[in-house]
Amino acid sequence: MPDIAFVKPALPRAGALVLPLAEEAPLGPLAKQADEATGGAISRGLEAAKFTGRKGQSATLWAPGAGLTKVVAVGLGKSADLSATAAEAAGGAIAPAIAKEREAMVAADTLTPVLAASLALGLRLRAYRFDRYRTTEKEEDKPKLERVALAVADAAHAKAAFAPMQAVAEGVFLARDLVSEPANVLTPAECAERCKALEKLGVEVEILGPKEMKKLGFGALLGVAQGSANEPRMVVMKWMGAPKGKKAGKPLAFIGKGVTFDTGGISIKPAQGMEDMKWDMAGAGTVIGLMAALAGRKAKADVVGLVGLVENMPSGTAQRPGDVVKTASGQTVEVINTDAEGRLVLADVIHYCIDKFDPRFMVDLATLTGAIIIALGHEHAGLFSNDDTLAQRIEAAGRAVGEAAWRMPLGEAYDKQLKSDIADMKNVGGRPGGAITAAQFLQRFVQGRPWAHLDIAGTAWTTKDLPTVPKGATAFGVRMLDRLVADHYEA
Amino acid sequence: MIEVRFRRGAPGAEAPRILPLAEGAAPPPAVAAAARAARFAGRAGAVLDLAGPPRVILVGLGRDPGPLACEKAGVAALRAAGEVAEIALDDAALPPEAAAAVAAGVALGAWRPPTLQARPAAKPPRRLTVHGPGAAAAEAAFAPRAAALAGCLLARDLTAEPANRLTTRAFAERLEALAEEGLEVEIHGRTWLERHGFGALLAVGRGSASPPRLAVLRWRGALPLPPLALVGKGIVFDTGGVCLKPAEGMEAMRADMAGAAACAGAMLALARRRSPAPAVAVLAIAENAVGARAYRPGDVIRTASRRTVEVVDTDAEGRLVLADALHHAITAFRPPAVLDLATLTGAVVTALGHHRAGLFGTEAALLAAAAAAGEEVGEPLWPLPIGQRHREDLRSDIADLRQCAPAGSGAWGGRLIPDACHAAAFLREFVGETPWAHLDIAGVERAEEAHAFGPAGPTGFGARLLDRLVAMRFEDEP
Repeated sequence: MPDIAFVKPALPRAGALVLPLAEEAPLGPLAKQADEATGGAISRGLEAAKFTGRKGQSATLWAPGAGLTKVVAVGLGKSADLSATAAEAAGGAIAPAIAKEREAMVAADTLTPVLAASLALGLRLRAYRFDRYRTTEKEEDKPKLERVALAVADAAHAKAAFAPMQAVAEGVFLARDLVSEPANVLTPAECAERCKALEKLGVEVEILGPKEMKKLGFGALLGVAQGSANEPRMVVMKWMGAPKGKKAGKPLAFIGKGVTFDTGGISIKPAQGMEDMKWDMAGAGTVIGLMAALAGRKAKADVVGLVGLVENMPSGTAQRPGDVVKTASGQTVEVINTDAEGRLVLADVIHYCIDKFDPRFMVDLATLTGAIIIALGHEHAGLFSNDDTLAQRIEAAGRAVGEAAWRMPLGEAYDKQLKSDIADMKNVGGRPGGAITAAQFLQRFVQGRPWAHLDIAGTAWTTKDLPTVPKGATAFGVRMLDRLVADHYEA
Repeated sequence: MIEVRFRRGAPGAEAPRILPLAEGAAPPPAVAAAARAARFAGRAGAVLDLAGPPRVILVGLGRDPGPLACEKAGVAALRAAGEVAEIALDDAALPPEAAAAVAAGVALGAWRPPTLQARPAAKPPRRLTVHGPGAAAAEAAFAPRAAALAGCLLARDLTAEPANRLTTRAFAERLEALAEEGLEVEIHGRTWLERHGFGALLAVGRGSASPPRLAVLRWRGALPLPPLALVGKGIVFDTGGVCLKPAEGMEAMRADMAGAAACAGAMLALARRRSPAPAVAVLAIAENAVGARAYRPGDVIRTASRRTVEVVDTDAEGRLVLADALHHAITAFRPPAVLDLATLTGAVVTALGHHRAGLFGTEAALLAAAAAAGEEVGEPLWPLPIGQRHREDLRSDIADLRQCAPAGSGAWGGRLIPDACHAAAFLREFVGETPWAHLDIAGVERAEEAHAFGPAGPTGFGARLLDRLVAMRFEDEP
């Protein structure tokens, strides 16, 4: 992972030079200087490559002279439309192009300091790699990039703008690491242990085991966990960042589903694609990453993050279809399908959250249903909410950082699909509207509080590279919810 | 449709009488004691059947009842009435709009599928008489509703027909009969379709002994404007073709022409109420059958727009026939907007269940109006996205685009494919710049059980919505 520095524009003596260029715009001062130093090789090369600066376009010139190993030009599109997300995407496009260089300089002197910082953020986000289990990778295949210097006229300003972004990026990386870890490594106990790393940032971390949860009456969460040899955990993370003296407010609450592996339980899943179920804890990973991001940038807000960590396994002790469990709220659930376990875990954690923290709002994140993928695909998370203001804020925050949410409906007609003959509700409502009935299930535990549910089953993992996300865990939601807090809830 | 009459004065004792009551309203003295004893408080959906004589069916409207609550009460009361020849509605306590809405509910509830039984089961009443001092005003309020009702019930009638009766030819004939209502009807057969290059519609219809048809229904209206275009999927039966569907539930595929039926119903409603808005319906009618001449996965077909499509799954036939119909609607009529209705995908059922239809499109104002119209008539929609990725998934190596993403290409072992979004992304390729809305009505076109607006079976979903949308948005002077 490269270090980022912001420096006064000056031609590097060696290494790679990156030129982010807007459409039909002349070369900036530093680029012009490089062009002159190489005797016009850069402008000639770009012309030969028919490079116009179109969004998404890029061109590479090898050893153009002046000691440079390569020059990479990246198109920014029309300068009038240059947004933060566009700058991030350009930064993302740069990352693979310079991965094999040790050092690179980006001629960001044509950008505002804030956009230069956004570009650096995009670059860093895209340069992420989860490679701790590669032991035989050839040296020449490994990325080499150690340091990227962004040349900006007002370097101090850019650096200041980048600092909070850097903290959020660290939260994203933590979330991606957790989500990428295989389930034999990341058990509930291990995941809880890793949350402790947040203490360094000033987050209070409390870990509850099966005994404590039993006392709290977490019948639903424990029912899911009872088939596994790996004990469940609930982790409560507190970041109390609101300025002292103004502590009147209630905390914001974020809740994550953390099924470290989901076999489906007795209602077992088909083998094909089951390996993906290691990331069925992406909701929890996101909440943990979010807490790291908020604490890392010292967000001026009181925030609690709660994650329910379990493994869903079939075994002699596993819960069965037809079992009736009692949730912490007292409501009973007939378990029709043991593979609809996420909502059971969340039900208890949501109840605990209300009981303990009386939060201002709750947002839960969960890779909850396959139905949401059939409904929306992979570009949007499903957003369900009983509060239009909160929902609109989440949508807007998502748009601002390129993590899109699409509002989905709730309603009594859907809720009726959960009717059980023996308990207060079933844990599934059938195939029709499957993501909606899952949300209806959760809504039965929120006691009418402002609440939003993000079904991230389609967005937590990507099978292709995205502008600022390499293939794999996306940490979808960390940046969106960090932005939500920053835009509306900080003192 | 049930005959509806309006009479001044109190109803006689012979027919059972529906008495709608808002929540908290005092029941008339004659039934007050019974209502109190049975704890009937006028809550929405509550019904109390008092044997009499005279038989009185109290039905609750809830608090501040709107037109939909009144309609639902009418349906509930009719259901409680059971097998009676005639029924009366006592409007003494109701404003005329509400009385008309209850009467409309009775009409919706009294609809039955075509009788094909040697000894028909329970017969609903054939006549409703609305009694009361406000009968004349109620009659006036009922008139515009009657048009939309007729449209809805036509859609139900057509959708209920089994596919051996409603062949492509029979469907076309039923539509031709609408000429009596003042619609201009043109039916294009195979030769015309071949001459005009309707490769997609022809390919889908090729496996069947019943040839495909393109039906064009026009309502001239009064405004000097190009017509609003309605496009409907009219697959009279969908076996899935070579990609044959499983046997379980296949009988429901006789309703795979519900989109076209809803469009035809809407056109009838416009004609009945002499709407000033010009409109045209373009209905793609075919049977997706298995046969020696059937089209295959891997085939590349040339649509009417000249664009080529690689067939991936012959069971995704709806979007193909719609592609040709949309192209025709847009190029032949230059409409200000085009809406298509189709029982298009199973994915939309997974997404939204049986309570809302999926809404896709390109123009925010049109989509908002369609959604608003749906809420008003109790046919709710929910917007769904067409993303960049959805379009990318339709890239073909051999043709201009693929018809759908292949099975196995989705997430989690390939099973999870956003096919409703893919279908919408596919259709968008054929609408160009024309404002467009697509309603995926799979899941709402029929109900397994009796529902708020009628008995089990086809719902006519879309006909009333389109009629209302036209009234809301397309009847202003230019």
